[in-house]
Amino acid sequence: MMEILTSRHWLEWAITIAKFAFAFVPIGFILLLIPLERRGAGFIQDRQGPNRSYFKLPYFGRIRLFGWVQNACDGLKLFFKEVYAPNHVHRILFALAPAIPFAIVLISPCVIPWFAPMVFTFGDAVIRIPGQTVDSEVGVLLLFGLSSLSAYGAVLAGWASNSKFSLLGGLRTSAMTISYEVCLGLSLMGMLLLAGSFRIDEIIAWQDAHVWGIVAQPVAFFCFLIAMIAETGRAPFDVAEGEPELVAGFHTEYGAMQFGLFYMGEYSHIGINSILVACLFLGGYSVPFVEMSTIQANVGISLGVLCGLIVLALLAFLHMIYRYSRWYKTSSASNKEVILREYSLYKLLAWAAVPVVLVLGILSALFFHPEYTIINGEMVYGAGVAFGTALIQLLTLLVKACFFCWVWIWVRWTLPRFRYDHVMHLGWKVILNIALINLVVTAVIAKLVLGGN
Amino acid sequence: MIVLDPNGERMRLMPLNIGPSHGATHGALRYMTAIDGETIVALTSEIGYLHRGFEKMAEQGTWQQVIPYTDRLNYCSAMMNNIAYCRAVEGMLGVELPERAKVLRVIINELSRIADHFICVAAAAQDLGSTTGFFYLFDSREETMVIWEKLTGARLTNSFARIGGLYRDTYTGFEEDVLNVCKTVERNLRDIHACFDRNRIFLDRTTGVGKISAAQAISWGWTGPCLRAAGVASDLRKDEPYFDYETYDWDVVTGTQGDVFDRLMVRLAEAEESLKIVRQALKRLKPGAISVNDPRIRVPAHNKVYQDMESLIGRFKTVSEGIRVPAGEYFSSSECANGELGFTLISDGTGKPWRVKVRPPCFTQFAAFGDLVEGSMLADSVATLSSLNIIAGELDR
Repeated sequence: MMEILTSRHWLEWAITIAKFAFAFVPIGFILLLIPLERRGAGFIQDRQGPNRSYFKLPYFGRIRLFGWVQNACDGLKLFFKEVYAPNHVHRILFALAPAIPFAIVLISPCVIPWFAPMVFTFGDAVIRIPGQTVDSEVGVLLLFGLSSLSAYGAVLAGWASNSKFSLLGGLRTSAMTISYEVCLGLSLMGMLLLAGSFRIDEIIAWQDAHVWGIVAQPVAFFCFLIAMIAETGRAPFDVAEGEPELVAGFHTEYGAMQFGLFYMGEYSHIGINSILVACLFLGGYSVPFVEMSTIQANVGISLGVLCGLIVLALLAFLHMIYRYSRWYKTSSASNKEVILREYSLYKLLAWAAVPVVLVLGILSALFFHPEYTIINGEMVYGAGVAFGTALIQLLTLLVKACFFCWVWIWVRWTLPRFRYDHVMHLGWKVILNIALINLVVTAVIAKLVLGGN
Repeated sequence: MIVLDPNGERMRLMPLNIGPSHGATHGALRYMTAIDGETIVALTSEIGYLHRGFEKMAEQGTWQQVIPYTDRLNYCSAMMNNIAYCRAVEGMLGVELPERAKVLRVIINELSRIADHFICVAAAAQDLGSTTGFFYLFDSREETMVIWEKLTGARLTNSFARIGGLYRDTYTGFEEDVLNVCKTVERNLRDIHACFDRNRIFLDRTTGVGKISAAQAISWGWTGPCLRAAGVASDLRKDEPYFDYETYDWDVVTGTQGDVFDRLMVRLAEAEESLKIVRQALKRLKPGAISVNDPRIRVPAHNKVYQDMESLIGRFKTVSEGIRVPAGEYFSSSECANGELGFTLISDGTGKPWRVKVRPPCFTQFAAFGDLVEGSMLADSVATLSSLNIIAGELDR
């Protein structure tokens, strides 16, 4: 026991444990996705979306945070509601079912690489940290296995509810998840073939060295995206919840936080899947057009550029606020004084943040010079450089994932729902075949052009 | 549930009860299905959950007091029912409306028709899982509702028509408001066609679903857009014109297949035709009387009542005793949004109706519902139901 502990540097242990915090990234995505979905739906449908709830601050009055407060209130409401189960349910399974998808979501980020493997000197020791929490050889397979387990939540809920609507919903979910797991795996095979590995970090490394997956495997990308949306059970594939005919599908009988767990499970599943698509097809944590060694060599300037981008985002935000303010000043809205007061807080905060970030960026660009030692012919930098690079890479990954989150919302509010048999038809007769053909074509080309074995 | 099929084989079916309070049954109606997997093998429907006793209540008051009850028949286009009822009573009385009243009734009718068709398609879009289509169509309906609010004082149940005319004249700016609504309607139609016309999922869900042939539709007694979708060019506004509908330039829209897609698209196309009629009617709208000048039928205005003895008597007699409708039996039907809304009126010569019998359009359409969806999938039943535009208020009366 002690040997295992002492075989590594204490810092390595500390970071390995700290990496468990990444399990909560999907939970963070819930905070982002629910307001984004509700306001995004409003944006697509020419309406406001929920933004009424507020908390009060002394001078600034009612602060609504663009609808975030309302979502927090809705979440709190779910927390404090009585957990109620009808008399006719199977008690144990009924209580267990909502926990399954949520638990799976907490486990599945373990194989996602958040940054390139870190190698840095700390004192005399050289410390190596892999980008993922669990450094597994079968990375992507483990993730698929875990995410397919979340179907158990829906199936158990459908069964334990002892209601026909729930049962039909559960049946639909199980059939659909199983069908689309096949498409999901097969459409990815081309990419795995090219990279020659199941490890996500090696797939990203391949994309970094050659070209992004979306360019190398465009067909696979679309198959994968569709299968992924279907596997999440989101519109247009939400036949399992198909509210017109099945009321709410497998979670018809659930209320309060039990329903909330299904809901949060779905959203964090979207988060995970967005990160996965970003990893497999958009180069994951690799910064486009910039080599990792360039970032490491100029880490101060890179962080400076990052700060510059944040300043740009802040200025864009300010531009939006000023535009809204101008609109409100001329409008006849009865609450315009209240809203202008609220906006003055955002203006204050954003204007306060701009110089701080700017100064930080300039300071890091001017004074942060990396020093390195040569170990076995490789340049190894210090801990500061490693963490700075990891930060940049993590943010790159999250930005790419956020883009896919929006794609999810966009699709949901644009398309009508499939009929159940059409979904199966699409899965087995269309996407599966395209994925198979894609795999064969990729294999032939890979053999001929790349000359692999 | 174990049943024997016609060949004598044992089938295991699952009974599934949908409604009366279920997301897909707008209003309160119920259908019971026996499903094999997801396929509906048998379906029976049950109505009466929203039965308000309209016909019995109509016998309790005077002829005018029936008007607010007619609002609640098809609450999506309340004023069309008012007008249809008033037209029936006017036919019995044999009065001729002034020009302005006719034109205003046409405008109100056609705007209501657009709003009603839009609600039907919007609800169908919602049932097919496209909330965005729902919101796009509600845009112009909301503007129509604002006009109703300004014109009548109410949004949903307006009770605006009166026997022998209308409740009151339009407000200043009515014409511009109507023209603005026409523009919004055009924009909404563009949006919704862009959403659905070439959408593969929508086409898969709607084409060939809930199909009915022209002969079947006629034998079920279908009327209105649902019958026209099956390819029968039957429209009372053309066949038995009233309110000078024959003088307007517009076309009857027909479908070819009689499936869900055709029913929805016929409604959208009819909204376009209604727009044409509204625009022409606005040009014909000249100042003038909005009611017949007969104190026995239409109560005299308040300013006259306080000055003039005869008007006071007229108002008192009409309000307290009701309009005296000649004894006899009379049937009159008008082309409402959902189809032919008929009223059979029996009068015994007093101020109260002896019997009011309604022939609602969706009653016959709902009767055919079981035949339409047996053998199709569960999700198809929802699409079919929403394309038939069943309004429980007029189905159960």
